[in-house]
Amino acid sequence: MSSSVRFPVDNAFEQTPGGDFPLVRPLDSPVLEHGVLSSNVYRRYHIETQDAPDIVPLPPKFQVKVKKHRLLAMVVKELFELKGDLPVALSRPCIYGVFSRPVGGLAPREELCVGCLRCTVQFPGIVQIYPNPERRRLGDSLVRPEDVETILYEARSGRVPVRGAGYRGPFGGEGWDGLWTDMSEIVRPTRDGIHGREFISTAVDIGEKPAFLHFDAHGEIVGPLPPMIATQVPFLFDMPVNVARSKALLPIFAEAARQIETLALVPIASVIQFSLEGQHVVPVIAKSMWGWLDRLSWSPCMVMLDGWDRECYDELRRRFPGSIVCVRVPMDTDVLELVQQGVRVFHLTANYHGYAGNRFVMDLILQAHQRLVEAGVREEVTLVGSGGIIMAEHVPKAIICGLDAVALDVALAVALQARFNGECLDPEAAALSFPRLDTAWGVQRLKNLAASWRDQLLEVLGAVGLREVRRLRGEIGRCMFQKDLEREAFCEQGSEL
Amino acid sequence: MRAHGKTTEERIIAKHQEALHRGFQAWPSLAYDRPPAMGDARWTADLILATWIQAETGRPPTNGLEYKMGHSGGGFDALTFKFLPGGRWLPEQEAIDTSIPLNRRPYDRDIQIPVPWYGAGMSYGSISEQIMLARAKAARQWDTFTSSGEGGYPESLFPYREHVITQVATGMFGVREETISWAPIVEFKYAQGAKPGLGGHLLGDKTTVAVAKMRESVPWVSLFSPFPFHSVYSVEDHKKHIDWIKAIHPEALVAVKVSTPTDVDMVAVGSYYAGAHIIQIDGSYGGTGAAPEIAKKNIAMPIELAIPKVHRFLVQEGIREEVVLMASGGIRTADDIAKAIALGADGCVLGTTELVALGCTRCSNCERGRGCPFGLTTTDPQLSQLVDPEWGAERISHLYASFQLQLRAILRSLGLRSVQELRGRRDLLIYRGKEGRHEPAAIH
Repeated sequence: MSSSVRFPVDNAFEQTPGGDFPLVRPLDSPVLEHGVLSSNVYRRYHIETQDAPDIVPLPPKFQVKVKKHRLLAMVVKELFELKGDLPVALSRPCIYGVFSRPVGGLAPREELCVGCLRCTVQFPGIVQIYPNPERRRLGDSLVRPEDVETILYEARSGRVPVRGAGYRGPFGGEGWDGLWTDMSEIVRPTRDGIHGREFISTAVDIGEKPAFLHFDAHGEIVGPLPPMIATQVPFLFDMPVNVARSKALLPIFAEAARQIETLALVPIASVIQFSLEGQHVVPVIAKSMWGWLDRLSWSPCMVMLDGWDRECYDELRRRFPGSIVCVRVPMDTDVLELVQQGVRVFHLTANYHGYAGNRFVMDLILQAHQRLVEAGVREEVTLVGSGGIIMAEHVPKAIICGLDAVALDVALAVALQARFNGECLDPEAAALSFPRLDTAWGVQRLKNLAASWRDQLLEVLGAVGLREVRRLRGEIGRCMFQKDLEREAFCEQGSEL
Repeated sequence: MRAHGKTTEERIIAKHQEALHRGFQAWPSLAYDRPPAMGDARWTADLILATWIQAETGRPPTNGLEYKMGHSGGGFDALTFKFLPGGRWLPEQEAIDTSIPLNRRPYDRDIQIPVPWYGAGMSYGSISEQIMLARAKAARQWDTFTSSGEGGYPESLFPYREHVITQVATGMFGVREETISWAPIVEFKYAQGAKPGLGGHLLGDKTTVAVAKMRESVPWVSLFSPFPFHSVYSVEDHKKHIDWIKAIHPEALVAVKVSTPTDVDMVAVGSYYAGAHIIQIDGSYGGTGAAPEIAKKNIAMPIELAIPKVHRFLVQEGIREEVVLMASGGIRTADDIAKAIALGADGCVLGTTELVALGCTRCSNCERGRGCPFGLTTTDPQLSQLVDPEWGAERISHLYASFQLQLRAILRSLGLRSVQELRGRRDLLIYRGKEGRHEPAAIH
């Protein structure tokens, strides 16, 4: 066994007491890059954010329609009534600069309009504000225009979206919207993570987690250590297929994953073609692509088998004895059956709208998690899931339902200002078109998005009162389902809504 | 055009003030139809315009504007009353009592308010001094209360202090011995619906010299109140807080404002045993200030679902008649107030509704740049002058009058002579959730 190892990253600081062996390895930390795990090097995990403005201008959110002849008539009338008091007559109602051009309302700057409506309240016969229909065309039936706007804001700034005046949307809703997370107020210690007063870990462990280890008479572990890695955030990057085939886009995703210290799931053909290498790269291998495997000259920390096949799985385990072998299967698969066959790490997938076999991912995650809990093997298994996870709030909700981590897809494309050409539903056929991208800009956008989502995760964890995201997994006692609350609030005992 | 004033700035403010007042009258008349970009699922354009009419006239609209419900598809918007047939309504001349007590314990000060609501905590800094004054004036006129929010209150409010609740929150901003010793009610804010699990935020742009002085902080520096009270990790600690207030001001009633987690019912019972007279539960969909979007939408439950949970548990524990339960966080209309009471609250706490009465369009730009363009949630010296406190007090007062009128009409249609008889009468409600109609039973 190597000398004493301490995790160099605060996010993964809870390590083996005594720290004699690297049960959990942080990804691509500087110490790992040098191949040596030095001891007691403190580094607090942090994602560097930096403004990365949109390169494709969004259509203005509002249209400002001014009746110009009425405006001119009003100005003349005011000048007359105010006896030529120009500063007063020409003073404008907008504090955001929509009428800040020298000709004021004759050429409004729509891009500055925030929809406060002060101008139209004051001058209803002269100016009207309309929602811009162009803006309503962003996204698709799942990713609504306001979701696109939110993701773009997060990718642009790296900040948590903050607005005034309460919630504006529908009451609860379908899918993730029908679930609220808990908070603690008086009787439990709650942590303030986002402002840095206390540290909350967002690191998760991915790998095989045996229920116990065997030790010899000298206290040394008998047999090989189970492969295990820690990502600093509970989200992996799972590129849409056309991204993974793009020479311009793939390096952006891979580099961003490396800098964020998470994993990028990349089809093996792309790994080979674009000479990708590193512990952040997870080659995804379908049986039909088996021939590419011979050209993989390095040993990844994790490989992913796309679709269950006993022989392929055994072959991957044989070829990569020190690597985690993850199996990607549809989310409605009976995972317990595969666990009984030896699989310990899963990537459970649904389509981009979050459905697998006509059921939404939330229900499927709950079911898979519960099944493993009942079989007494949940602690030995890692569940990563994807599909329908498009907003920051979906990450903690998916984890509460039972995932260890999620894999992001469409949200990453939106952050890079991809446009939807029709419904973005099928990972194989998603029609996303990207603007011409600069790699550094793209990496920063994804880092900003990750920083914003991590901070929002901290908001949720702080409210719940948990110090690490690992403890959130499957904590359905710390969430509330709308249907349950409505039944409790509005039904007699035993009756249904 | 008015535009009077000595200086150019005064004349500019007068011009825009007059134009705004004209607009607040013109839009609800529907002469220009509804503003196409106004409203959202919870506060529809109709609800906003209807609130403007009520603030203008003191009566609900009669021109077809929907003034009872929004379009959120659930909660209050899916609840309707089971009114009696017209022939069984109470006669118009019969007096209907809308008052509620704010202390149900057999000891301590007896305070009654003539309407089952008071004003929510909105801090000095998050709103202007003019708005605080307008709210305080209206509270005095109606013999009810307004809350200081976390940040103390300026001297201009001293004449109204018998109607100002002093809030003590986690940052302790603006809390002074004298404001506690004056206060008829002291409110502990443990959490708030819009930011459950987070402390209050006052961004740097709003922390003016005057606001900072009141808060004993540094001007133009953002203030993030901690969460939670770091001196409270148990009900016993909570009692210590209440004892501390009672030591300074033994006559004060104590209100406890909490958010709506899954164990909100236990928190309410704990607060009762700690000595609170009023428990205010603040649902997740409300809030007037800046808050992370993820918190508003996703953390803690909406007030409609929390009220029956808390009410039921207080009944089961046998303490319901000794504590006042106030509901807040998404109360928009007189109908919402009546529904909240039927679900189990004694009364409601109004925040956003009062701001809408003063001209808020719910544009959600409270925290941006100079703050609210209508002069509401701002400390900008020019913008805040757009609201004259006398005008504001009149608007809020008219809204209260309209709400009381509607509340009486609802009670009359239900055959009830007092709003206190409505409390917990879920059997008078029908819930039309997405899965159909349901008729809840009463909790007595």
